[in-house]
Amino acid sequence: MTIQPQIELLSVNKHYGGFHALKDINVTIPKGSFVALVGPSGCGKSTLLRSLAGLESISGGEIRITGKAVNDTPPRHRDVAMVFQSYALYPHMSVRDNMSYSMRLRKASRAEIDAAVADVAAILGLGDYLDRKPNALSGGQRQRVAMGRAIIRNPKVFLFDEPLSNLDAALRVHMRKEIRALHDRIGATSVYVTHDQIEAMTMADHVVVLKSGVVEQQGAPLSLYDTPATKFVAGFIGSPAMNFVGGIVGDTGRAVTLDLPGAPSLPLARTMEPRRQVDVGLRPEHLSIETGGAPGIETTATSVESTGSVTYLYCGGDPEIVVVLSERERISQGDPVNLTIAPDKIHLFDPETGAALR
Amino acid sequence: MSATRHTRLLLFAAILLGAIYLFPLYWMYATALKSGSEIFAYPPTFIPRGLDFGIFAEVWATRDMGRFIWNSLVIATGSMALVALLGTGCAYVLARYRNVWIDIALFLVLMLQVLPASLMITPIFVGFSALGLLDFPRFAVMLAFTAKAMPFFVILVRATFMSIPAELEEAALVDGNSRIGAFALIALPLARNGILVSAILIFMQAFGEFVYSKSMIQDVTLQPASVGLNGFMGPNTVEWNKIMAYATIYVTPILAAFVLLQQRIVSGLTSGALK
Repeated sequence: MTIQPQIELLSVNKHYGGFHALKDINVTIPKGSFVALVGPSGCGKSTLLRSLAGLESISGGEIRITGKAVNDTPPRHRDVAMVFQSYALYPHMSVRDNMSYSMRLRKASRAEIDAAVADVAAILGLGDYLDRKPNALSGGQRQRVAMGRAIIRNPKVFLFDEPLSNLDAALRVHMRKEIRALHDRIGATSVYVTHDQIEAMTMADHVVVLKSGVVEQQGAPLSLYDTPATKFVAGFIGSPAMNFVGGIVGDTGRAVTLDLPGAPSLPLARTMEPRRQVDVGLRPEHLSIETGGAPGIETTATSVESTGSVTYLYCGGDPEIVVVLSERERISQGDPVNLTIAPDKIHLFDPETGAALR
Repeated sequence: MSATRHTRLLLFAAILLGAIYLFPLYWMYATALKSGSEIFAYPPTFIPRGLDFGIFAEVWATRDMGRFIWNSLVIATGSMALVALLGTGCAYVLARYRNVWIDIALFLVLMLQVLPASLMITPIFVGFSALGLLDFPRFAVMLAFTAKAMPFFVILVRATFMSIPAELEEAALVDGNSRIGAFALIALPLARNGILVSAILIFMQAFGEFVYSKSMIQDVTLQPASVGLNGFMGPNTVEWNKIMAYATIYVTPILAAFVLLQQRIVSGLTSGALK
């Protein structure tokens, strides 16, 4: 059984004058899934979302929603709802009118509107605020109204453009769960743009990592974490970011020598081309401190931060290596440490192309 | 301590400058109430001795001011309506789209603002005459004044539209509006204050318009109050109190309206449409 794709992006290209903003984007989004578009600012993720909404026209390729090409369809005929970063609530309308605006445009009956507003207000806990204007609401409430305005439409696709970036940290974590729960309850397809990889990882079924208008990698969140296709994805997904050290594969192809003081050598789980230049990626949470004398990176702790639950250890200087320890270790600044890592946790990348070497 | 002295000094300077600036206005009111001999008295009296309020009714009747003021109102209202109708759309487009052509259009709009009416009147007169527009002289003045006042209106209203986030209209587009619908239902209501205030300023300007009316309206029954006032002042005029009474009747309503609306005008021009 194949699930019918809700959204298909087929080699989508977008040029702004001489600037190539989206380069040959191919993404297929199944019905009911939650997809995150993630990447640093300027990577084209918002442009892609706006193209989906119809607010931008694309220069090449095809966008299909439920199988129909919508390249030349204006936003109002695409049956998508969008939540904007600034919420874009209509300041001259009450919460009720904001949420029911789309229904009033399609000339829904008074009773129908009242019922729908009551429903959505109950879902979002906005019942007491229906007659307020947006400027009398808190940031979190405005965010809910923006959600409500989208939910009331019952659209084919929800589009979110960094909806949580204007909220404080605690509220952001809370709304993250709430949006995901809403998605599961409503079951509509959602496309979510964020620059925050944690949001992408925690909320999405499918993550698309964009960089300078190119899809670097897409897949299930954990597959991006476990097997990043490029050095960029490896560094972008995961927090704190992966450590990168230059290195060279040993003569046997079973170990890699790091470009660090003392030229430490780490065993590999697979055989690589001997004497090949590589970039070695080591996740902070995969490194551990070894006291037994196993082969590892001999260095010194330059700084120790303990949050109680985890300890951040900053070692060496050029480049600095970050280690995250979940055990409380009695290490203080200046102590020598020997860092080891399981051979199958070592990531290797081509220094030229950044592609992962497997 | 020096800060308060500094503030006081500035306040004093402001009051002094204000007084100098407003003195002619005071002199108009004072002169209107003076008798013929007192006007020419030396040294001049700063406060009129015998107050004669009857002069206003007399001037109103003898100079047929009702008709002049009516013509001024017609021209001002017509110009304001034309400017607001044509200028709002123009300002919106100039605010929302960014490209070379828009920059050129903006430059031309600003250029128009620079050209003085007395320079423009000759070509306008010739053109209007050829088109037969001078047979409808008040309408001709409205058209000419609309062209003259448009840049001012467009620049002000453009700033208002620019203060409205484009995302609001995008949200409306996604919600089911057409492009024109988003403009009419979202942008326009939010820009209402800015448009109203700018229109009021245009009305006030048009109410005092002189150059175009003087040149294009020959028929005295169609002339506005500004031209009527000018006709009152001959080379041998001695009736300064009557002229000033005329001027008083002419400007006081506008002045009063401005004082009443002053706060809203200033806030409408400076604050955006939001909040």
